Amino acid sequence: MTVTEVTAEELPPFVRADGPDKVTGSGRYTADLTLTGMLHAAFRYADVSHARITKLDVSAAREMPGVLAVITDADVPDVHYTPVIADRTLFARDVVRFEGEILAAVAATTPEIARAAAAAIVFEFEPLPVVSDLEAAMADSAPLVHENWDGYEISGDTIRDRNVATFSALTKGDAAAAMASADVVVSSRYVADASHAAPIEPRAIVAQWEGNKVTIWTSTQVPYDARDGVCETLQLPSNQVRIIVPHLGGGFGGKCGFHFEAHIAALAKAAKRPVKLVFSRYEEFMAPDRRREGMIVDITTGVTTDGTIVAREAWLAIDNGAYMADAAFFPQLAAMHVAGPYKIPALQIDANLVYTNHQPSGSVRAPTAPQGCWAVESHTDELAAAVGMTPVDFRRKNLVATGDEGPVGQTYDEIGLLECLELAVTSAGDESALGENEALGVAVGWWPSFAVPAGAYAKMQGDGSVQVITGAQECGTGAVMTLRQIAADELGIEPTSVELVYQDTAAAPQGPGATGSQTLLNHGRAVERAAREIAQQLKELAADRLEAAPADIVLSGGVAAVTGTPAVSIPLSELAAEAAGGDLLLGSASAPVPEYPTLQGSQCVGDQGVASWLAPQFSCHVAKVRIDPDTGVARVLEVHAAHDNGTIINPIGAHGQVEGGILMGIGQALTEGTQYGEDGKQRNAAMLEYKLQTIADAPAITTQFVEIFTPDAGPRGSKGLAEAPNVATAAAVSNAIAKVAGQRVRQLPMTAERVWTAMQSSSDEGGAA
Amino acid sequence: MSLVNLRVNGVTYPVDIEMGRNLSGVLRSEVGLTGTKEGCDDCECGACMVLLDGQPINSCSYLAAQAADREITTVEGLANGDEMHPLQRNILAAGGVQCGFCTPGMLMSADALLDRNPDPSDEEIKIGLSGNLCRCTGYARIIQAVRATAVELNVSP
Ligand code: FES
Ligand code: FES
Repeated sequence: MTVTEVTAEELPPFVRADGPDKVTGSGRYTADLTLTGMLHAAFRYADVSHARITKLDVSAAREMPGVLAVITDADVPDVHYTPVIADRTLFARDVVRFEGEILAAVAATTPEIARAAAAAIVFEFEPLPVVSDLEAAMADSAPLVHENWDGYEISGDTIRDRNVATFSALTKGDAAAAMASADVVVSSRYVADASHAAPIEPRAIVAQWEGNKVTIWTSTQVPYDARDGVCETLQLPSNQVRIIVPHLGGGFGGKCGFHFEAHIAALAKAAKRPVKLVFSRYEEFMAPDRRREGMIVDITTGVTTDGTIVAREAWLAIDNGAYMADAAFFPQLAAMHVAGPYKIPALQIDANLVYTNHQPSGSVRAPTAPQGCWAVESHTDELAAAVGMTPVDFRRKNLVATGDEGPVGQTYDEIGLLECLELAVTSAGDESALGENEALGVAVGWWPSFAVPAGAYAKMQGDGSVQVITGAQECGTGAVMTLRQIAADELGIEPTSVELVYQDTAAAPQGPGATGSQTLLNHGRAVERAAREIAQQLKELAADRLEAAPADIVLSGGVAAVTGTPAVSIPLSELAAEAAGGDLLLGSASAPVPEYPTLQGSQCVGDQGVASWLAPQFSCHVAKVRIDPDTGVARVLEVHAAHDNGTIINPIGAHGQVEGGILMGIGQALTEGTQYGEDGKQRNAAMLEYKLQTIADAPAITTQFVEIFTPDAGPRGSKGLAEAPNVATAAAVSNAIAKVAGQRVRQLPMTAERVWTAMQSSSDEGGAA
Repeated sequence: MSLVNLRVNGVTYPVDIEMGRNLSGVLRSEVGLTGTKEGCDDCECGACMVLLDGQPINSCSYLAAQAADREITTVEGLANGDEMHPLQRNILAAGGVQCGFCTPGMLMSADALLDRNPDPSDEEIKIGLSGNLCRCTGYARIIQAVRATAVELNVSP
């Protein structure tokens, strides 16, 4: 294990391959594309949260000059889709279930005409009761979001009941009996509001048909998922749908999954012209099925007087919104966060994913984690206080370490969680040095590694330059840039000699794309193997020429040399030129998927595949917060982060992920919350009302990595890193706020108003939390 | 429709436009320079920042017609031929670019800031760039890049 402390100034320059395009303005994002004859799309949204359609008349819109196509449910194949529960159609049919549901799509010669035509569509409806409150939605008497919930096709081990879309329970030992034996029992309720990925680029799509093939340029993080969604809903074979992703202006999960590609492809087909869609900021907030889910966490933990956790029981309700996007596994994932990386001998967590008439929820950066971690880590500080221990000592005693058994019975190989705790706490310094109304809050978090199949091709051309073709997608993280480095290292050349082709489903083999922190983990293993195949070919060629055994050849500095006698060498470009006249240097690989650990001594009901965690990633964040007692405004002054994410391959990319994740976490902690009206509609779908952190809000951040070579994970012992930094920050901020306010703020985001209110009740009670 | 002359990065473009069109839209379509981005169309994000007679403006909320016959600078006008502007070089070297969607606007704000204040403190950099949202980076590396550029330009103006 090594600890790396790299400050921003000392970072090695690793200039991104896509960097020059991005700083000069020459790089094209999807909205920058224009095709000859291209039309513009507009959607007509339901704009009502729950209603039965009584009339949908598009005839006036179709007659408008400049309108070339208007399509509805009647114009596309009769397909119900989405993973796990096939509960939706491309266009509304009979009933609309959230405000952003699409009734119709228009293609016209200008965006203005398209919008006017969409507005001219006649939509009449009979209102249905709006399901907005999570607990009310679970009552037997609650109106159903899907009357036909039992009739949908489902897959996997999926437990459902009425408005409960999926249910999972984690059970270990006899939690009730263990709880009865505890000396101290603490119960808490925490409620998190929904929030948004809010990438700065609103999504855009361009679709063009040539014969029976469609090419779709789209701002997706997951080109293959987008392709599969188009194939499923428009009933096309996968070799007739090509997805190309131009530069992508951020995603954070918001651009995962399949969204509107099929709508635009169907429009382009109907209009017989290329069609382009560009979202407004309002649409970006309101329509995509990738909102961060609201959540209620009821949690009870029993401890002994010496501060040992003996039992935990919890009940969770998670807002799924109106349709299944990819949230089916959220109950299990949230349950693991509410368990936390602690040694807990007896556990019972019941987690419900609940249908409401809100925008659908989906995987936004570390789904369920910031909210779950915020709840459990706030609760952990309450436990420490209840037994008179410091938050740090309580965690030292109960956190999992190498060889320990975790909450679901999984035993951990070498992990660095305790080291992360010590490093972050030490970096934050002494609490006695704090100013007035300032405090330090500590929180730990964890996140799984998702191993799935991915492939890669590599070729070395006659001039010795290398091309790597991968299904990975660069959403800004720089993880794809790391793939260059991996290939280059295998071949003993500079990363700048490697060009990537990475955004075209017609070119690259299948892979997950930029989702679930999987680029390095999954695509990385494939690229490593594909490059290794070429390396082996080069070694064989060199062995022939240098009269040595292939095993004795090393590739380094652009030459092949015999081990121990570097003077005997031959440039790789010479070998490449030779190969170009005979056996071409081609590599292709599909990386084997590491096996997931099995559960020991615990059960999981409603398993969606994440009951135990492969190569878990650990972190500790310490936040220094100052509160203005007059206004309740909390400011995060410093965040000290320490992470165990395995081997760090691209330091500048790694630091960028941690810093960006922390800032997003501060937004979730303090300002980012979606408010819903009684009508189920979003009330703050704009950036002035839904406030992202600005440069003026940015705290000083220190980041340390506890580097542990992790076998059976990513290349060279690495794990992922895009989501892990977005787990513990809000929790750390919460624990600092509680210290200053003298009272818990039990709702996320912890806005100035909520902090101020807590401070008032604290001074009313005249006491501490 | 009216014919107006837009002078962008030293080149004059006669464009035939509706008088109500915003500048970012005309720059991106009629003028054909897509480096200027649109993240909100409502003065909320700063992705559309360009310089008008040296002053930073949100071009999404500015009428193209009002910019007629004035000097407009977009991100495409920052580099000196093939040679990047020090801000462009430094923001890459510092790791201040991830998805890059905020970058053009960020660079234009930073350029305007250094123009009026060649030696800004970190606080002044924060104020100068506070109209530009970045969702990816955490901002520290952007501040670092502006600081490095100030030093570089002051040493060799
Ligand atoms: S696009 Fe102009 S401020 Fe956002
Ligand atoms: S780099 Fe993505 S928004 Fe700034």
